[in-house]
Amino acid sequence: MGNPIDDEIQAEIKQHKILIYGKGTKQMPMCGFTRETVQFFEKYGFPFEVVDVLQNPAKREALSKMTNWPTLPKVFINGQFYGDTDILDPMEAKGEVEPLLKTAFGK
Amino acid sequence: MISTDVLTSYIRKAMPDASVTVTDRTGTMDHLMVRVVSDAFKGKNLLDRHRMIYQSLDEPMKDGRIHALELKAETPEGS
Repeated sequence: MGNPIDDEIQAEIKQHKILIYGKGTKQMPMCGFTRETVQFFEKYGFPFEVVDVLQNPAKREALSKMTNWPTLPKVFINGQFYGDTDILDPMEAKGEVEPLLKTAFGK
Repeated sequence: MISTDVLTSYIRKAMPDASVTVTDRTGTMDHLMVRVVSDAFKGKNLLDRHRMIYQSLDEPMKDGRIHALELKAETPEGS
Protein backbone atom coordinates (compact mmCIF):
# COMPACT_ATOMS: atom_id res chain seq x y z
CA MET A 1 0.00 0.00 0.00
CA GLY A 2 1.11 3.50 -0.75
CA ASN A 3 4.21 2.63 -2.76
CA PRO A 4 3.77 4.73 -5.91
CA ILE A 5 5.63 2.27 -8.17
CA ASP A 6 3.49 -0.65 -6.98
CA ASP A 7 0.36 1.46 -7.47
CA GLU A 8 1.47 2.34 -11.00
CA ILE A 9 2.04 -1.36 -11.82
CA GLN A 10 -1.33 -2.38 -10.38
CA ALA A 11 -3.05 0.31 -12.44
CA GLU A 12 -1.31 -0.88 -15.64
CA ILE A 13 -2.17 -4.52 -14.93
CA LYS A 14 -5.79 -3.53 -14.44
CA GLN A 15 -5.88 -1.36 -17.56
CA HIS A 16 -4.49 -3.90 -20.05
CA LYS A 17 -5.91 -7.41 -20.47
CA ILE A 18 -2.61 -8.52 -21.96
CA LEU A 19 0.41 -6.69 -20.62
CA ILE A 20 4.08 -7.35 -21.30
CA TYR A 21 6.80 -5.70 -19.25
CA GLY A 22 9.85 -5.92 -21.44
CA LYS A 23 12.93 -4.34 -22.88
CA GLY A 24 12.07 -1.96 -25.71
CA THR A 25 8.74 -1.29 -27.39
CA LYS A 26 6.28 -3.30 -29.45
CA GLN A 27 7.69 -1.73 -32.63
CA MET A 28 11.31 -1.96 -31.52
CA PRO A 29 11.97 -4.72 -29.00
CA MET A 30 15.48 -4.45 -27.55
CA CYS A 31 15.79 -8.06 -26.48
CA GLY A 32 15.17 -11.36 -28.26
CA PHE A 33 12.83 -12.65 -25.57
CA THR A 34 10.72 -9.49 -25.64
CA ARG A 35 10.49 -9.82 -29.44
CA GLU A 36 9.44 -13.48 -29.13
CA THR A 37 6.74 -12.50 -26.65
CA VAL A 38 5.38 -9.75 -28.93
CA GLN A 39 5.29 -12.26 -31.82
CA PHE A 40 3.56 -14.79 -29.57
CA PHE A 41 0.65 -12.42 -28.90
CA GLU A 42 0.48 -10.96 -32.43
CA LYS A 43 -0.78 -14.38 -33.61
CA TYR A 44 -3.90 -14.15 -31.50
CA GLY A 45 -5.11 -10.77 -32.72
CA PHE A 46 -6.15 -9.43 -29.33
CA PRO A 47 -4.88 -5.99 -28.30
CA PHE A 48 -1.86 -6.08 -26.01
CA GLU A 49 0.41 -3.51 -24.43
CA VAL A 50 4.19 -3.49 -24.02
CA VAL A 51 5.62 -1.39 -21.22
CA ASP A 52 9.34 -0.70 -21.62
CA VAL A 53 11.16 -0.91 -18.30
CA LEU A 54 14.68 -1.10 -19.71
CA GLN A 55 15.59 2.36 -18.33
CA ASN A 56 13.62 2.00 -15.11
CA PRO A 57 15.55 -0.16 -12.61
CA ALA A 58 13.29 0.81 -9.68
CA LYS A 59 10.22 -0.47 -11.51
CA ARG A 60 12.05 -3.63 -12.62
CA GLU A 61 12.98 -4.31 -9.01
CA ALA A 62 9.39 -3.73 -7.84
CA LEU A 63 8.08 -6.08 -10.54
CA SER A 64 10.57 -8.81 -9.65
CA LYS A 65 9.61 -8.58 -6.00
CA MET A 66 5.88 -8.60 -6.76
CA THR A 67 6.09 -11.67 -9.01
CA ASN A 68 9.05 -13.48 -7.39
CA TRP A 69 10.42 -13.74 -10.94
CA PRO A 70 13.84 -12.32 -11.78
CA THR A 71 13.77 -11.91 -15.56
CA LEU A 72 12.10 -9.87 -18.30
CA PRO A 73 9.79 -10.06 -20.11
CA LYS A 74 6.98 -10.55 -17.62
CA VAL A 75 3.51 -11.27 -18.94
CA PHE A 76 0.21 -10.50 -17.21
CA ILE A 77 -3.08 -11.76 -18.61
CA ASN A 78 -6.32 -10.54 -17.07
CA GLY A 79 -4.44 -9.34 -14.00
CA GLN A 80 -2.62 -12.59 -13.41
CA PHE A 81 1.08 -13.26 -13.83
CA TYR A 82 2.03 -15.86 -16.45
CA GLY A 83 5.83 -15.60 -16.53
CA ASP A 84 7.20 -15.60 -20.08
CA THR A 85 7.09 -17.68 -23.26
CA ASP A 86 8.81 -20.57 -21.42
CA ILE A 87 5.46 -20.89 -19.61
CA LEU A 88 3.18 -19.74 -22.42
CA ASP A 89 4.60 -22.04 -25.13
CA PRO A 90 3.76 -25.26 -23.24
CA MET A 91 0.36 -23.77 -22.35
CA GLU A 92 -0.22 -23.07 -26.02
CA ALA A 93 0.78 -26.63 -26.94
CA LYS A 94 -1.95 -27.85 -24.59
CA GLY A 95 -4.47 -25.46 -26.17
CA GLU A 96 -4.81 -23.39 -23.00
CA VAL A 97 -3.88 -19.94 -24.28
CA GLU A 98 -6.76 -19.17 -26.64
CA PRO A 99 -9.53 -19.96 -24.11
CA LEU A 100 -7.67 -17.90 -21.51
CA LEU A 101 -7.52 -14.89 -23.85
CA LYS A 102 -11.13 -15.32 -24.94
CA THR A 103 -12.22 -15.33 -21.32
CA ALA A 104 -10.10 -12.26 -20.61
CA PHE A 105 -11.78 -10.37 -23.45
CA GLY A 106 -15.25 -11.72 -22.69
CA LYS A 107 -15.52 -13.59 -26.00
CA MET B 1 30.14 -17.18 -19.69
CA ILE B 2 29.62 -20.26 -17.54
CA SER B 3 30.55 -23.90 -18.05
CA THR B 4 27.95 -26.65 -18.14
CA ASP B 5 29.60 -28.26 -15.07
CA VAL B 6 29.47 -25.10 -12.97
CA LEU B 7 25.87 -24.37 -13.97
CA THR B 8 24.87 -27.97 -13.20
CA SER B 9 26.49 -27.78 -9.77
CA TYR B 10 24.49 -24.63 -8.93
CA ILE B 11 21.26 -26.41 -9.81
CA ARG B 12 22.23 -29.59 -7.93
CA LYS B 13 22.85 -27.56 -4.77
CA ALA B 14 19.10 -26.94 -4.75
CA MET B 15 17.98 -30.16 -6.47
CA PRO B 16 20.55 -32.94 -5.90
CA ASP B 17 18.83 -35.41 -8.26
CA ALA B 18 18.63 -32.96 -11.15
CA SER B 19 19.62 -34.02 -14.62
CA VAL B 20 20.70 -30.88 -16.47
CA THR B 21 21.11 -30.33 -20.21
CA VAL B 22 22.64 -27.06 -21.37
CA THR B 23 22.37 -25.78 -24.96
CA ASP B 24 24.48 -22.82 -26.00
CA ARG B 25 22.30 -20.61 -28.21
CA THR B 26 24.83 -18.05 -29.38
CA GLY B 27 28.24 -19.75 -29.14
CA THR B 28 29.19 -17.54 -26.21
CA MET B 29 27.92 -19.72 -23.34
CA ASP B 30 25.92 -16.87 -21.80
CA HIS B 31 22.65 -17.21 -23.77
CA LEU B 32 21.55 -20.64 -22.68
CA MET B 33 18.74 -23.10 -22.97
CA VAL B 34 18.64 -25.21 -19.85
CA ARG B 35 16.52 -28.30 -19.39
CA VAL B 36 16.21 -29.63 -15.86
CA VAL B 37 14.66 -32.96 -14.94
CA SER B 38 14.05 -33.54 -11.24
CA ASP B 39 11.66 -35.20 -8.81
CA ALA B 40 11.60 -31.90 -6.93
CA PHE B 41 9.19 -30.54 -9.58
CA LYS B 42 6.47 -33.05 -8.70
CA GLY B 43 3.23 -31.32 -7.76
CA LYS B 44 4.61 -27.89 -8.70
CA ASN B 45 3.22 -25.75 -11.52
CA LEU B 46 5.50 -24.41 -14.26
CA LEU B 47 5.83 -20.97 -12.69
CA ASP B 48 7.06 -22.45 -9.42
CA ARG B 49 9.37 -24.90 -11.20
CA HIS B 50 11.02 -22.05 -13.07
CA ARG B 51 11.25 -20.00 -9.87
CA MET B 52 13.17 -22.90 -8.28
CA ILE B 53 15.67 -22.93 -11.15
CA TYR B 54 16.04 -19.13 -11.17
CA GLN B 55 16.67 -19.16 -7.42
CA SER B 56 19.39 -21.80 -7.77
CA LEU B 57 21.05 -19.72 -10.52
CA ASP B 58 20.66 -16.38 -8.75
CA GLU B 59 24.43 -15.88 -8.33
CA PRO B 60 25.58 -16.45 -11.94
CA MET B 61 22.58 -14.46 -13.23
CA LYS B 62 23.33 -11.49 -10.97
CA ASP B 63 27.06 -11.39 -11.69
CA GLY B 64 26.42 -11.59 -15.43
CA ARG B 65 27.90 -15.02 -16.20
CA ILE B 66 24.46 -15.91 -17.51
CA HIS B 67 22.92 -13.20 -19.67
CA ALA B 68 19.82 -14.91 -21.05
CA LEU B 69 18.15 -18.10 -20.03
CA GLU B 70 15.46 -20.21 -21.56
CA LEU B 71 14.13 -22.93 -19.27
CA LYS B 72 12.43 -26.28 -19.46
CA ALA B 73 11.49 -28.06 -16.24
CA GLU B 74 10.24 -31.63 -16.19
CA THR B 75 9.81 -34.54 -13.84
CA PRO B 76 11.45 -37.91 -14.65
CA GLU B 77 7.96 -39.15 -15.62
CA GLY B 78 7.84 -36.45 -18.28
CA SER B 79 5.16 -34.26 -16.73
